[in-house]
Formats: sequence, C-alpha cells, structure tokens
Amino acid sequence: MSKKIAFKTLGCRLNQYETDSLVSQFIENGYQIVEFDEKADAYIVNTCTVTNQGDKRSRYAFNNVIKRNIDAKLIVTGCMATQYKDKLEDEKAINFVVDNNHKANIFDLLDSYFKGESFALNEDERSVFSFLPAKDTFHTRSMIKVQDGCDNFCTYCIVPKVRGRAISRPINDIILNINQVLDFGFKEIVLTGVNITRYDYNGLSFHDLIEKIVEIPRDFRLRISSVEPEGFTPKLFELLQHTKVAPHLHLCLQSGSDKILLQMRRFYTLAQFKGIVQKIREKRPDFNFTTDIIVGFPSESDKDFEETLQAIEEIGFSHIHTFKYSKRNHTRAARMPEQTDEKLKTSRSEQVRVLGELKKRNYRASFIGKTQSVLVEKFQKKVASGYGENYIPIKFTANEVAENEFYNVRIIGIESGEDPNLLAELI
Amino acid sequence: MIKPSVEKNVRISNLIDIRKLTNSAFVLRFEKHDLSFTAGQHIALGIPDIIDTREYSIYSAENDEAMEVLIKEVEEGFMSPKFGKLVVGQKVKVMKPVGYFTINKDYLQSKRFVFIASGTGIAPFHSIIKSYPDINYSILHGIRTSEEAYERNEYTAGKYIACTSRDKNGDFHGRVTDYLQQNSIDTQAIYYLCGNYEMIDEAYGILEKAGVKPENLKAEVYF
Ligand SMILES: Cc1cc2nc3c(=O)[nH]c(=O)nc-3n(C[C@H](O)[C@H](O)[C@H](O)COP(=O)(O)OP(=O)(O)OC[C@H]3O[C@@H](n4cnc5c(N)ncnc54)[C@H](O)[C@@H]3O)c2cc1C
Repeated sequence: MSKKIAFKTLGCRLNQYETDSLVSQFIENGYQIVEFDEKADAYIVNTCTVTNQGDKRSRYAFNNVIKRNIDAKLIVTGCMATQYKDKLEDEKAINFVVDNNHKANIFDLLDSYFKGESFALNEDERSVFSFLPAKDTFHTRSMIKVQDGCDNFCTYCIVPKVRGRAISRPINDIILNINQVLDFGFKEIVLTGVNITRYDYNGLSFHDLIEKIVEIPRDFRLRISSVEPEGFTPKLFELLQHTKVAPHLHLCLQSGSDKILLQMRRFYTLAQFKGIVQKIREKRPDFNFTTDIIVGFPSESDKDFEETLQAIEEIGFSHIHTFKYSKRNHTRAARMPEQTDEKLKTSRSEQVRVLGELKKRNYRASFIGKTQSVLVEKFQKKVASGYGENYIPIKFTANEVAENEFYNVRIIGIESGEDPNLLAELI
Repeated sequence: MIKPSVEKNVRISNLIDIRKLTNSAFVLRFEKHDLSFTAGQHIALGIPDIIDTREYSIYSAENDEAMEVLIKEVEEGFMSPKFGKLVVGQKVKVMKPVGYFTINKDYLQSKRFVFIASGTGIAPFHSIIKSYPDINYSILHGIRTSEEAYERNEYTAGKYIACTSRDKNGDFHGRVTDYLQQNSIDTQAIYYLCGNYEMIDEAYGILEKAGVKPENLKAEVYF
C-alpha cells in the first residue's frame, strides 16, 4: 500500500510554491497525499517566522501532530525551522528539522528513509532552486521561483536571516521551467521569490527577465505578483503594459510616513511610491495595486499612522495585508526604544482593515460595465468562478464551461460581504 | 550539523590595526580574505562566540589589501564598546558585503555628487572617493565638534565641509540641514545621504523642495 503524506503550509507564497513542488514529487512517486488532520505516515510542516503569529501557528501545527501521538514521522521545515534549528533538533518528537537550504531534498530524504536507505542532504547553495515544477497542485496558476533571499535588511525583518542572502535563479532555468508548466497545461504563471525586483543574474536584471518571459511564443498570462518599490526602470514600466502581463502588482508600501519608512530602512519616499503607481496608471488606469502595511512600528505616532491611512485612501489599494508590527529577535527594530502598545496596534490594524474593505469594494465595483478575461478555476452547478486579469474574483453562470480556460465576460454586478465576487455574463 | 546558508557568508579575520581617531571613534583594520565589494556597501561585523553582529559601512577602498570600518562607541550600546576593547591579533567575524548604496558607474564622468553625512555616516563616502579618485564630489559632514571631522585630510581641500553644531571650529557653524537651507542647492547633482534618520528625513524635505528629483536622492540609514 502506498504511504500517506500530509502537509501543512504556513506563511508566504514562496512556502506554498515549495510545498506544491514537494506534493507533486510525492504524488509522481506513488505516494498518497492526505489532509493534515487525517492519519498519515509522515507529516510535513512548512513553517513561517515572519511574525510572532507565524511562530505560534507553526508550533501549533506540529504540536498538533505530536499530541495525536500517531506512529508517523514528523518533518519540520521552513523559516521557523531555520531560525530555531538547534532548539528544535533537541525535541525528540520531531524526526527531521530541515532548514530552507535543504527543503528541496525532503522527498529524497523521506523516500530513502522509508526504503531504509541513507541519504545525505545536499550542501549546494543552489538547492534553493532545485524544486521540481509542480504538476499536481491545488491551483490553476503555476508559481515559478525566480529568486530567493534578501539583502535589504529592513530593520523589522527576520527574512534575510532565515532565507539567506539574495540569490537569483539562472534565466535559462526559469524559461525552461515556464515551458514545462505550460506543457502541463497551466495558463497563468506567477513569479515568486523573496525580493524579485532585485533579480540579478550575470548582469541581467528584473526587466530583462520579464522581457525574456513575455517573449516566450506561447499563450499564457504572467502575474508578477509581490514586488518592492525598487528597480522600476523605464523598460519595466514599458513591459507592465505588455498584453501578457496581468495588470496587478502587490507593491509593498509598509507605511505612508517617510519618517517611519526611513527607520524601517526602506529607501523610498511616499512621493516616490506614488510616482510609480501614477506612472503605471497613466497608461492602464484600472491597474490593480494591492499592498502590505505594518502598523505599530516602534515610534509610529498618530500623525505617522494618519499618513498611512491617507496614502491608502489616495492610492486606492484593492487589498491590504495588514501586519501588526512584531518584534523579531536580532533585528534592529527590536532594539528601538519606543515600542508601540499592543492595544494601539490592534486598533490601528482594525482601522486599516475597515478602510481597506471600503477601498476593495470601490475598486471592484468600478469594473461594472467593463470586460475581463477570467481564468476559470471551478465550474459547479453551472456557476463558473475564477480571477480576471486584474486579479479580482469573478463568478458567472453558463451551461458549458471548461476549468483552466480563459473566458471573456462582462461585469454586471457585485456581491455583498467582505470579499465580494464580481458577477458577470459571458460575451 | 548542517548550518544554514547564512554561515557560508562568514569569514573570520585577524585584526591588523586599530587607529584611534577620538576618545570614542576608531578605525578597525582586518583581513579581507576573498571578500570583494563595491564602495558604499556594508558588512555585518561580529566577535566569535557572541551571537550579535552589527552593520558597518566599509571605510576602505575597493582595492585595498585589507578592510576597514570606522566605528563610534555608543554609550550603553551593546556591541560598539566591545569592538572598542579589541586588540590587534584578536579575531572578528565578517559577513559578506551587501547593500545598494553604491555609485552608478555610468554617471562617474558626467555627474556631480553631493555626499551628506552625519557622524560616522562619512564612512561609505570615504570608501567611494578612495575607490574612484576622479569622482566630482563635495561632502557635507554634520558633526558636533571639529574633532569628529574624522581624517579630514583624506579629502581634497575645499571639497569637505565640516558642519559643527557645538563649536565654531568647523567650516560652517550649524547642522548640515542649516547649511543646505542657507546655501544654493545644485538641483542637477546626485545626492547621497548617510547617518541618522532624522537628518536624512529633514534633508530629503529641503532637497525635494529645492527641486532635486526624487530619483537623484539615495539614502543609507544607520539608526
Ligand atoms: C547599514 C548600516 C551601516 C552602519 N555603519 C556604521 C558605521 O560605519 N559606523 C558606526 O559607528 N555605526 C554604523 N552603523 C550603526 C551600527 O550598526 C551600530 O548600530 C552601532 O555601532 C551601535 O551598536 P551597539 O550595539 O553599540 O548599540 P545598540 O545596543 O545596537 O544600540 C543602542 C542605540 O544606539 C543608537 N545608535 C546606533 N548607532 C549609532 C551611532 N553610530 N551613533 C550614535 N548612536 C547610535 C541607536 O539609537 C540605538 O538604539 C551602521 C548601521 C547600519 C544599519
């Protein structure tokens, strides 16, 4: 009987990409993937440490396996596992602690273990790029890892410590990988990495990478996804207008106060950030910007926070991922004297949430009467759902629709609720 | 045990020299090994057996045989006093240089650079002018007293302006931001600002108001 593997993934897209790849590798080698709360032969927890919450949720996930006292192997990997490797290795209930550098080897490690063979973890730094392209994922979009690590050293951020220094994947590997997933049938490519606008491989920069990707003579949609407001060259602005490039960026602002941005060591001003948004929207006025905001950074005053709210109002982000500032050991911000009170962080976070929801609704409603090309993810009971090019969720009814195909629709309405779908009709 | 990737970026270096510049500021000179860098970048520096490290801009030039950093001991600071107690022959942990506070070499011939520093924020500029001797530059150095005009003889006469806020022995009495407000601003120059965030924030405001384009402003924040 085939062995059963269960996964739990916490945190970012990059973690999700890495889990997807491992899932696919286990399936292709005859393993069965089961839900995390089912009985399995091995549990793999892909952890996060970006905030305190990340740590807690990660620990909760693997403690949950330990408590169930099942005769199964427990593998803890990801950023929290990297950060606390020594401590976790002392915990007997955890069979393997695998740091980020060796995550791609988990299949070989476990497979050899089940076969009673020995296996040495790969010491090669580049193993961060040796994840195989995922064929069997739970998504219609295929993530492609182009970069790992970060050299920015923002004062609040633990990521450079756990993901290591910035490293870019060879461009030819990326193109090969994209062609493979297009062969698998994927129609949308999402770039992923820790800080992808700093892509730099043998002198080729991020805009060179995007140019090479859109030049692939096949039919697909490219979603650039999460980027920092740096490396926006004239050529990149031009490429953002390309028909294959989806009009959506998750452009991380973090704060609307220049003073706080400097203390975070984020080297752009609000004016520069707005300049990027404006330049892109000059050509594509409905371009979708989503963002990350940190509230309650040390010394964030009422005035600083007001500036953040004002920035959200003006820029009109359609989605905001709000983080309450979380003190991470051995970061510069953790040593800053004026830490913000937890209650104040919570109330600021709530204000951002309320404003964010309003902005989301306004942005989505602005599509009523317009057309979108939906990549259908699900078709059930004659209702199709998926995302339009602007990364807005859309539903429409139809008699016959194929999943993982593009359909042109006209938007005719919007649902109520916090995360409203747009309602559409086929054209 | 397999160590995380960050460890691959560490070198252990012997301290070769310590130059005392003031009661609290000094230059550490240590072995460079294979570490190459671009002027303006920084390293994280540590002491074996202590987990904490701190970032320091590289003070020496790209082609120097050894590497140098300029450190000011911060009263009640955790690491800087420890660096201050090191003696020649002891070891330091040096992480691979990183950072983007560097000069676009395409502009070296054609542009004028204005470097604005507070305190030890002069360090990356020292490295830049030593690495690119032909660079067209001027430096505004914000310090409290003229003794903090660290190794000012290293800069071309007339290109270095010490702005002293607590004595009148500098070239200008007042803060760098006062200097900017009282003198004409070259809106075509490229501005590099380095030091404490308050100075940078204030200087940004003055320069932007004067008409310097945002893309011609670059900053490195120490604290
Ligand atoms: C990219 C980068 C480059 C840097 N380059 C240099 C450099 O070339 N030379 C240098 O001396 N420092 C530099 N610093 C600052 C340095 O990393 C340490 O913060 C500093 O030496 C104090 O460390 P500490 O452990 O003694 O104090 P900590 O215990 O870390 O901090 C104590 C407090 O001292 C204050 N402080 C930090 N740095 C200074 C300073 N330089 N002057 C006055 N107050 C300060 C801060 O408010 C901090 O809260 C740099 C920082 C960064 C981020």
